Amino acid sequence: MTAASSTELSLPPVRKGFWAMLAPGGGKMLFALAAIAIAFLFAFPVLWLFLTSIRPESGVYYVHRGTEFTWHNYLEVIQQENIYKAFWNSFAISTLATILSLGVTVTSGYMLSRFKGPIPDTWFSLIYVLRCIPYISWVLPLFFVTRQWGIFDTYWGLLLPHVAVHICFFSWIMKGFFDGIDPSMEYAALIDGCSRWGAFFRVAMPAALPGMTALAILCWLYTWNEFLFALLLTSHKTPILTVVMAQFVHELGMEWHLMSSTAILALIPALIVTIFGQKYVIRGLRV
Amino acid sequence: MPQETDVTIPVADLDHPPKPPVFGERQRFMLLLIAPAVAALIFFQIVPILTGANASFRDWSLHDPKLTWVGLKHYIYVLTDPGFIWVVMPNTIFFMVVSVAASLVLGLGLALILNQKFPGRGLLQTIILLPLMVAPVVAAIMIRWMFNDQFGIVNVVFEAIGLPPQPWLAQRWSAFSVILLADIWLWTPWFALLLLAGLQSLPKEPFEAAAIDGATRWRVFRYLTLPMLRSVMVVCIVIRSIDAFRTFDIVWTISAGGPARSTELFSIYAYIEAFQSMNFARGSAAAMIGAAVIVVLAMIIFRVLNRWVEVSK
Repeated sequence: MTAASSTELSLPPVRKGFWAMLAPGGGKMLFALAAIAIAFLFAFPVLWLFLTSIRPESGVYYVHRGTEFTWHNYLEVIQQENIYKAFWNSFAISTLATILSLGVTVTSGYMLSRFKGPIPDTWFSLIYVLRCIPYISWVLPLFFVTRQWGIFDTYWGLLLPHVAVHICFFSWIMKGFFDGIDPSMEYAALIDGCSRWGAFFRVAMPAALPGMTALAILCWLYTWNEFLFALLLTSHKTPILTVVMAQFVHELGMEWHLMSSTAILALIPALIVTIFGQKYVIRGLRV
Repeated sequence: MPQETDVTIPVADLDHPPKPPVFGERQRFMLLLIAPAVAALIFFQIVPILTGANASFRDWSLHDPKLTWVGLKHYIYVLTDPGFIWVVMPNTIFFMVVSVAASLVLGLGLALILNQKFPGRGLLQTIILLPLMVAPVVAAIMIRWMFNDQFGIVNVVFEAIGLPPQPWLAQRWSAFSVILLADIWLWTPWFALLLLAGLQSLPKEPFEAAAIDGATRWRVFRYLTLPMLRSVMVVCIVIRSIDAFRTFDIVWTISAGGPARSTELFSIYAYIEAFQSMNFARGSAAAMIGAAVIVVLAMIIFRVLNRWVEVSK
């Protein structure tokens, strides 16, 4: 009897309407074609970037014509000392900003999730309003402020504003992670004589690790690619990759070939992070 | 009748509960938890914002900063500027609505596709996430290049299939469409990623029940997936709307607000007033007005969407 009902359940679903009109396997073909089309649409600008990067300087205006390809652009780029510096600076800033932002927001998100009362309410409203304020209205004054404090064009002058940007969004997301974790384990730890800090560090934080990993990856990618802050808050002493790339293409000289090859080089670390990290991001963001 | 015992059981006095200490151990812990975040926010966000707000009430042009108090002069100027009221604000709202709606729908579609098992799924997912890996400024430069009226690949393709080539960035609506396209391309993967995570955290049982009942795919999507994803979607929409409202870099890179200031969003307007018209105060005032609009707007969106979620439960 049970065997009979299980065979009944495993019957293929009845095909109706549009899918029935297709030849057997036609649905699959259509799906595969759609998937390829989507992949092509998403990859196209990057593909175009890559194609531009392997054309000689004379060929970049007609990328679609001609068959000369060269690695010369890459050689030219990696001989520039500025690019090395920019790579290192971007890497250091992204990594440090990720560590600092997470360190600062994990406690703030925990507080928002576990406590009620005027303090968390005020804090939440504050970060909500600050989140809404457009970059423009504080990046411009930030330029004057960092100059006055003497941290303009240094690591700190770029790092700390980055951390400040992430506080609002990350606190909000971290609150979501901690909301999804049952607090009874922490209460048990408190009853067993753990301090509040102990309960936070030993019980709550390990449980939030998958979420934090996801945020760390997104934060790193975001900072690696950030442009506006880098443009306004740094200068010659601290070259940042995105700014260096954008400077290849300005009113005076359009060095498309150099811009695109640098951009492809800059894409490699991000690609590595994404390929290995996407699994953790999707797992960690499940709230 | 049982004898009343003499033992007094401590009963909570509900009329006079013990007042929680205003600054007890609990409160100290709370404040310590947020102290580093508060410090970073004060120095690198609140101080600059107050500096900007202060500037917006003064005569602060960049070449001759007199710093005299002029009251609401700049606010009145911006609010009575027909360009700001009839071009910049409608542009900004239109941009926000279209960008968020389109990337939400596309992202949801992609998330549904990626939630299935098929060969090559991992590769497709990596390719879809490409826009998250490319610096937006590079992507914007590349898209501007692709839509270049002389050398761009888009016009080459147009000519090849017999359509007249377009001066994409020289007309208001085509330039605006290019900007929107770029923004949707950039942000669809973000939606797809968050919604995919949401999809994978849904319980399996309702879907199994629906499969046994022979529900069609559309009905499963409409009556199971969509309602269960709503809370994730609300968070995504609110966060993304705020960000879309204050978009700066891709618009600046693709059209710089042109042609003839017709594709300006309010952050571009603020930037142009501050640095090209060299009037820092007026730019700050425009930025403040924009901030006020989005604070109210985000509150309304959040309320409306939240109610929508509550009702559907």
